[in-house]
Amino acid sequence: MPNDSGDAEKAPAGLLLRGIVFAVGLLLFCEAPAVAAQSLAAQSAVTPPRVSRGLVVLYDFGDSSGIIVRDRAGVADPIDLTIEDPGKVRRSSGVLEVRGSTLISSLHPPRRLIQAIKRSGALTIEAWVEPSRENQSGPARMVTLSKDSTNRNFTLGQDGNQVDVRLRSLQTSNNGLPSLAAKSGSLTTQLAHLVYTRDRDGQSRIWVDGKLSASGKISGRLSNWQRAMHLALGNEINKSRPWLGKYYLVAIYERALSANEVEQNYAAGAGVLAPPGVVRKRRDPRETHFELAVAPILANQCLECHDAFTRKGGLALSRKSTATAGGDTGRAWMTGSAKDSLLWQLVEQDAMPHKRPPLSRREKRIIQKWLDDGGVWTLRRLDPAVYVHGGRPDANWLRRLTTAEYIETVRSLFAIDISKPARALLPPEVRADGFSNTAYNLNVELKHIEAYQQLAGIIVERVDIEAFRGRFKKRVTFTDKDMGDLIKKIGQTILRGPLENREVIAYRGIATTLAATEDSSIREATAAIVEAMLQSPRFLYRMERQRGAGPAQPLDEFELASRMSYMIWGGPPDARLFQAAAQGDLYDAASILSEVSRMLQDDRAMTQAERFFADWLHLSRLDYLQPDRGKFPAWNPVLAGDMQRETIAFVREVVWRQNRPLSDLLNAQVTFLTPRLAAHYGLPVKDRGDLQDAETLVRYDLTNVQSRGGLLTQGSLLTVGGDEASMVTRGLLVMHELLRGVVKDPPPCVDTTPVPSKPGLSQRGIAETRIANKTCAGCHARFEPLAYGLEKFDGVGGYHEKDEHGNVLRENGQILFPGDATRTVYRSTRQLMDQLAGSERVQESMTWKLTQFALGRPLTAADAGVLQEIHAQAQRRGGTYRATMGAIVSSELVMLMRTGGEQ
Amino acid sequence: MPVPKLPRRTILKGLGGVTVGLPLLEEMLPGGTRAAPVAAAVPVRAFNVFFGLGIPAPLQTEGFSGVLEPLKPLSKKLLVMRNVDHIRADANGINAHFDGATAAFTAEAPNGEAKAGGPSIDQVVRQTWHPDGLPAGMVPTLVSGTFFRRSRVGRFVHSYNANGTVAAAMQERPRDVFDRVFGAIAPAGVKNARQLRIKRSVLDSVLSEYRYFTGARSPLGIASRGRITDHLERIREFEQRAYALPDRSGEDTSGPRRPLPSKLQHGGAADPGGQGIDIELDDLVSEWRLMADLYALSIEMDRVRFGSITFLAAGERLRVKGVYEYGGRPIYEFDDARDLNASGDMGCSHEWWHKFNPGKQNEQLRAHAHMKMREVAYLLQKLDQIADANGHSVLENSLLTVSTESGDGRHNDAKRELSGVFHAITSAQGRFKTGQIMDVGREGLDVYNTMLAAMGCQRRLGPVDREPALVDQILV
Repeated sequence: MPNDSGDAEKAPAGLLLRGIVFAVGLLLFCEAPAVAAQSLAAQSAVTPPRVSRGLVVLYDFGDSSGIIVRDRAGVADPIDLTIEDPGKVRRSSGVLEVRGSTLISSLHPPRRLIQAIKRSGALTIEAWVEPSRENQSGPARMVTLSKDSTNRNFTLGQDGNQVDVRLRSLQTSNNGLPSLAAKSGSLTTQLAHLVYTRDRDGQSRIWVDGKLSASGKISGRLSNWQRAMHLALGNEINKSRPWLGKYYLVAIYERALSANEVEQNYAAGAGVLAPPGVVRKRRDPRETHFELAVAPILANQCLECHDAFTRKGGLALSRKSTATAGGDTGRAWMTGSAKDSLLWQLVEQDAMPHKRPPLSRREKRIIQKWLDDGGVWTLRRLDPAVYVHGGRPDANWLRRLTTAEYIETVRSLFAIDISKPARALLPPEVRADGFSNTAYNLNVELKHIEAYQQLAGIIVERVDIEAFRGRFKKRVTFTDKDMGDLIKKIGQTILRGPLENREVIAYRGIATTLAATEDSSIREATAAIVEAMLQSPRFLYRMERQRGAGPAQPLDEFELASRMSYMIWGGPPDARLFQAAAQGDLYDAASILSEVSRMLQDDRAMTQAERFFADWLHLSRLDYLQPDRGKFPAWNPVLAGDMQRETIAFVREVVWRQNRPLSDLLNAQVTFLTPRLAAHYGLPVKDRGDLQDAETLVRYDLTNVQSRGGLLTQGSLLTVGGDEASMVTRGLLVMHELLRGVVKDPPPCVDTTPVPSKPGLSQRGIAETRIANKTCAGCHARFEPLAYGLEKFDGVGGYHEKDEHGNVLRENGQILFPGDATRTVYRSTRQLMDQLAGSERVQESMTWKLTQFALGRPLTAADAGVLQEIHAQAQRRGGTYRATMGAIVSSELVMLMRTGGEQ
Repeated sequence: MPVPKLPRRTILKGLGGVTVGLPLLEEMLPGGTRAAPVAAAVPVRAFNVFFGLGIPAPLQTEGFSGVLEPLKPLSKKLLVMRNVDHIRADANGINAHFDGATAAFTAEAPNGEAKAGGPSIDQVVRQTWHPDGLPAGMVPTLVSGTFFRRSRVGRFVHSYNANGTVAAAMQERPRDVFDRVFGAIAPAGVKNARQLRIKRSVLDSVLSEYRYFTGARSPLGIASRGRITDHLERIREFEQRAYALPDRSGEDTSGPRRPLPSKLQHGGAADPGGQGIDIELDDLVSEWRLMADLYALSIEMDRVRFGSITFLAAGERLRVKGVYEYGGRPIYEFDDARDLNASGDMGCSHEWWHKFNPGKQNEQLRAHAHMKMREVAYLLQKLDQIADANGHSVLENSLLTVSTESGDGRHNDAKRELSGVFHAITSAQGRFKTGQIMDVGREGLDVYNTMLAAMGCQRRLGPVDREPALVDQILV
């Protein structure tokens, strides 16, 4: 054991040997050979690995000097400790000896640690220690997460010759009593390995030197754990319970270690300096190379000709089974040798991709390495849609409130409608990657600043500030205490979480200015403070802690509450959700589901659903619809608004009132029309003739109307094809938005000028001519037949059996679902809609679209695995909007903050 | 030729009979810098000038006798570069309208519908010369333009931050540019010194919060901190305009006013479903020239040193009508819908690029491209009429990069479409050769990196593992 205590041989030899065997096995199993070899070399020849899963904090006391005790868990923001009085300790590499009363504590409450354990409801406290005396009591604090001598989250202590552990839960006191104590005599002045484990069900155990010493039930959730606790060694925070002795190692896990794992750590011994990078499971780098580097190239460059349908040369790369089987000329690659692989030879010679720009040097290097390393192929299916936005996650962009979110937030907080000035003053959001809430594109301009300032002024003018203040504090004076108290309470609501002292001080500065101003009042001070809060980053942005060394970390309860409410409602948490966050209920999966379920019953969730559909389907496009007057002389611009309203009313009916699966939007036999839109569609007008009815939407049962039924038969979507009712544009709409299909722009030597129909040649005929052209067919055959079923609808959504030239219009066609080897035939518009509604691909696409909207960012290959889980869960619960949103909100895409690389 | 500086109360006469007033210009400038002697150093400036749809490479070979004719009066102050390629910017097939337009000034493929693959030239120069921000009161980046098609941001915005996001919001109406650059802000609810004191106190606490979230203890990651830093910069600009200016309420305010509201369609109405709009040539030119005047004035008053300006978007769809003349001689009578015998998108001038045929006259395309060059030249001439402290014009002292989206508009060959993309640059205080048309025959990435190196920038565009290849022949 690499320390100077002379206790290196404490761990029995048999255990050490067992540890070695275990270590080798584990490393070979978990890591690629090269990495395993490095890790092995990095470890002592006689040191088995320590358990790393769930590790949150690790102190190995590796520094031989200084006042900082470094956290070497290497998983997120380190929770370093500071030695208050260095004169009371002695340090050498691997040992910290506390010789006199001092405090070794974190400078700030270790939020990450507290959150992790609150969320898991389980923990392990482990310490290799050597007490200097047997008669230390209080208990003397060896490891504590506490505030003072009567308030703690946990304490591992020495009470005479016993180990004593206190833990706060809903069933114990604020002081963590009753405690669990190990057997009498469990602690001497000898080096000891102490482990306390507590699982989610409350089962608690104390292990001494790898053996169970005590067990009992400490019931109750940990949701009452306090945030303001500090982590400390050697004393209580108020320095009233000193512990003297030597520390060799202290570790805390966010789960209860099993008996075997306790034994494993005991076998690893004390004084194990944390290796550079604690052993943790790693994937074979060849697998990640394939998934993150090779698969995007194959998907983007090869599938156009080599998917299950096109299968040029008999090779289909869209599935693992067909890809590894090879094509007409045999296997596409030889394991472990690029130069002997046909695939590489063609790529290297720039013969592939055929008639496309050659791969770049970098792409070629990736392919070559992949083949030389064995051509590992992990994915069952290669879906190009997964790689549209790249393989790796983009940077974390915090989200500015959109105009709609700003309006809803103000409405929720102050019960006033600020929509008119907000929409007039705030610059409109710009769409990017299909939605207008894409975080990276939510920029801020001078106009925003001016608008936020003006809107804050308007809000405090409209709100009864005295009544608003009264909700939080009845009697207030200009004293620091009163104002600080008021600021904390108001701020917690407006800023969606507790305030830090720094913030209280900043806002109190405003009150101080007012106090020193003539004729000032508490009302005026409150208004000014609210005004400042309304312009602060914590109000205008959805602020989250993004920094951390690990790949991801759990959100805190208030961050999570905000994510949930803005995703589900497009607005801030209500009092109940906020209370759940404050009580720690959002660390409990069942509580989260219960909240989500409640929130999804609220009308605000419907309004948010409408925002999603309006944004996804780009209904605002209709605001500017200008069909050619010559071609559509009867067009009434008011119809565009009617079409928007039709689609929203339809969504409300199907998604909300009937709570049907999202995919039913494709074939639900109902719609809502104004009399003029009904006439435009050629449906009977249910108009009673008075003025009001002209604007009123009337429900239409379409069961017996063969021509209409479902989103795609509504004017709001049909108009996307432009005046000529372009099959290309309509087909691409279905392909991109519903099937998540990917096609490239036209290949060389094609005149892309749109062709108008004429006598004897309808748009369908033009499309068929294109598809008959071999050069065009590769892509056009994938998407234009999707629009055949819409040919009877003209550019503004009117229905006809013949076009303006007298050409008979048809409605049969085929669908090629992405990844399928064969086409699915449909005979009518209705059958097309039924097939789309029944398609797993369409259902999955809707999950993807809703997830993108909820997250406010394009989805990448790194999200694909979680999306699969979200979709499966949503479908198990009926595939409805509520089920899908519920699955999204409870997924790790929402629960965790990606921190990788964010420093 | 450079002309003397404008008097304090400059009056800008717009072509449409619009007069623009600048009642507060001098006071907006920090620390009275406008009153400083002209011996002050010439500032580093960089601007990207974009025009839509491009000039097919074969037409560029005709030099100033073809569609480039309007640039001839400025030929001594420009380096026209031919055979500059952006082929590596082909991210999604061969449609250069979006890919090519985003590659203009970045030389990289886009990274999202509203995100470039990297920073634009002007922003790299800005970051190099002003890493801690521009002097107080200046507009950090001015992005403006006269354009209509807007389906993707890359079609019309041409200034990008290091992370590829847009460097500033687009100001698409002359009035927007005026407000953004010269507009004074009256803080809401301030009628007296008492209220001003309270508002200042509010703003102080707001500022302290933004500082915290951009500081060392910020819990935010890099991208988010950058966003909050932008916000903080805008607040400081707001503070400067709203609070740092003297009270001028008692002064004569009878001077000219902001430009009248634009007569042209903007926002979503300007791009009805990609179908194009009808537009009179005179209306288009009038608004563009007012925009160009304002942009030039913003530079002259040293309110703006970096940014981009766009004359028509990539893949612009307009059905233009009107008589086009140059130098008193008629060039062409535009009526695209008539000539194309089509309505909607198929009746737009865009189609002339689809129909380009090097073996034919391409009369309409030539006329449109010629007109675009005339309007680009209008802006350049404006900048050439402004004298800097060193006796040269702003045009000569600034790094101006003029470019477009493609070297061919037929969408039928990725290599051809993204090769030979028109470029012209200015000397940037003698750094680059001018007075010639040069067949560069290099990638845009190398050309841009050479320009950046000459401007003293360490940052290079493009993949990090790519060997730098300077284009010596453009350097003086």
